[in-house]
Amino acid sequence: MNTAIENHWYPVAMISGIDGPRETLLLGKKITLGRKDGTCWVKDATGKALPTVERFGHLWTSPGQPNRDLFTIPEADSPGRRLVDVGSVKVKCSPLRAVENFLDIAHFPFVHTDILGAEPHTEVDRYDVKIREEVDEVWATKVKFYQPQAAKSAAGGITTEYMYRVPAPTCSVLYKTCPPRPGEWDIITLFVQPLTDEWCEVWPWMALYDDESTMSEMVSFQQLIFMQDRSILENQIPRKLPLDPGMEVPTQADMTSVAYRRWLKKIGYTYGAQLVAA
Amino acid sequence: MSWIAVGLKKDVPPGIVIPSRLADTELAVWCAPSGSYHAWSDRCPHRGMRLSHGFVRGNTLACIYHGWQYNEAGSCDYIPAHPKLTPPDTICVPTYSCTEAGGVIWVSLEATDQPLPELGGRVPVRSVPIALSAENVAAHFGAGSAPTVAVVSDHDTVLALQPCTDTLTMAHVLASPDADPKAVSRWVEDLRATLEGVPA
Amino acid sequence: MILYDYVLSASCYKVRLMAALLGTPLILRAVNFHPAREHKSPEMLALNPKGTLPILQDGETVLTDSADILRHLTMDHPEWRSPDDDRWLAFASDLNESLGLARLHDVIGYEADIDTARAAGVTALRKLEAHLTEQRFDGLIFLTGKAPTIADIACFPNTALAPDGGFSLDPYPSIRLWMRAVRSLPGFIEMPGIHRLHELAHPA
Repeated sequence: MNTAIENHWYPVAMISGIDGPRETLLLGKKITLGRKDGTCWVKDATGKALPTVERFGHLWTSPGQPNRDLFTIPEADSPGRRLVDVGSVKVKCSPLRAVENFLDIAHFPFVHTDILGAEPHTEVDRYDVKIREEVDEVWATKVKFYQPQAAKSAAGGITTEYMYRVPAPTCSVLYKTCPPRPGEWDIITLFVQPLTDEWCEVWPWMALYDDESTMSEMVSFQQLIFMQDRSILENQIPRKLPLDPGMEVPTQADMTSVAYRRWLKKIGYTYGAQLVAA
Repeated sequence: MSWIAVGLKKDVPPGIVIPSRLADTELAVWCAPSGSYHAWSDRCPHRGMRLSHGFVRGNTLACIYHGWQYNEAGSCDYIPAHPKLTPPDTICVPTYSCTEAGGVIWVSLEATDQPLPELGGRVPVRSVPIALSAENVAAHFGAGSAPTVAVVSDHDTVLALQPCTDTLTMAHVLASPDADPKAVSRWVEDLRATLEGVPA
Repeated sequence: MILYDYVLSASCYKVRLMAALLGTPLILRAVNFHPAREHKSPEMLALNPKGTLPILQDGETVLTDSADILRHLTMDHPEWRSPDDDRWLAFASDLNESLGLARLHDVIGYEADIDTARAAGVTALRKLEAHLTEQRFDGLIFLTGKAPTIADIACFPNTALAPDGGFSLDPYPSIRLWMRAVRSLPGFIEMPGIHRLHELAHPA
């Protein structure tokens, strides 16, 4: 029992997708979940009820005793946003690799070509990164990148501004320039369920201002983006995320990933991490 | 350590990178526009992505993830996120001895002064995966341990064996220039079926 | 022409790819196959009682089989046809039950007899490799000859996306060169899981 790992909240299902009882894995252990009289429940393999939270369209649970509430995203509650259940994709990689990839912009021209990036617009300018001690979260701000089609709602190429937030070890929230409403942020999240330390189920969720696109179009757009990442994530060696410097070489563009790895090490979050260079 | 075949020249023309492996060593094998062959560790030092998923651009192999380019010596010489930066010499990919002879691409994981295997004028036909260890394939030909090259009487064939995993061997097949390649190709499929113990 | 489309479907991609190579414009209607199962909604079932995708609507004509759709799109393009197409269209259709099913299993948790699907997938890849290798002995790169036909477009998606379902394409050099030839065709479009041939663009 490692409380630094078990005392977190983890996404385990999209609430609208729960019909009958279902088995899944959390941190390598079998759990069962379902819904009765409109309320979701989760049990561990011994039949013991686990704590639950229903938030952001997803069911969250914890195998331990979380010492704080699941994080919130107050901006997502503002009126006029459309909440998008993207569904899940399974990936054979460490949950931490999946989060780190979400925090990275330098891959856009090569992996999300002509959508989130395109050559020759490959340069990543300096941005601000910090571990906000008072909330124990990683934040990257003033991240700017040229994007040919930043969102389903974007009409053409724009320089997009991003803010990244890591409020929990396997979750990230992205605040991104909203093409139809300059001055507001679109919210795109990546909630990662660690099935095991080398296998995860990824639940993206979005809260967007977009009055034009159909719900199916917004879901398609985000699934397209994430499936482009999946073929990368399944081909990184090792599958676990190396936390010790030396095994992988970062540059200035990787400041968010460097801070994320440092923060994981600081809070003792080692599930899906590789601590000693192989 | 001797030379081991990892592919055929005709399957890896200039501008192509392929994944390959020798036991526990995963390789990116690529051919520069100049025609020279390279076998590298299949891992970009930046974020661990397989370089065999990358692309050959000019005389470099680039990683598909962030486009980092490595010159023919294995040193990183361009990082697209920082186009004005000259990457430090320390960013480089481990490289192995690699050469092409007789239409076959040969790799040695360690420095070697051994000569390349003799092919007796035979020409490459095709490479075939067999779902067995190299030892088990070799045992079929009465060899005690896995030979780099087995000479087989059918069609006067040479099988250059590449041990990949406990359940995968690549057999690079060469035959007399006079042989009908389709007949050799079908023969090796029958041979594989026999070895794997399933009907063709 | 309207294509009822799911962005991650290999069969829908066959249609998008064929239309792109022909320069035929399509109006895409996104269908939320996963997670919302919109292809089984009353509106979609009214259009296609089988509840499958893709669906191509061309005026009064509604086609729901991807092989039929490829034939329909190339009706006036004899250069995209060969007498050998039919056997490869059937082969491509079978790939849905092997490579395609394993992909849905691994990516979105589809229920499947995964061992059977994987074994059938390896058998299919070996068959494809053997055929393409023999084609190369004759100096041909595509399935039916020197030029691509609907046979290639039908077989390409599930083959190229096989790694999504846990298949390694590493041991198949002729498949690799064939896929590269398809990806190099003028007008080629990718889908998630199939990367752009970056070597062809924007030299630094």
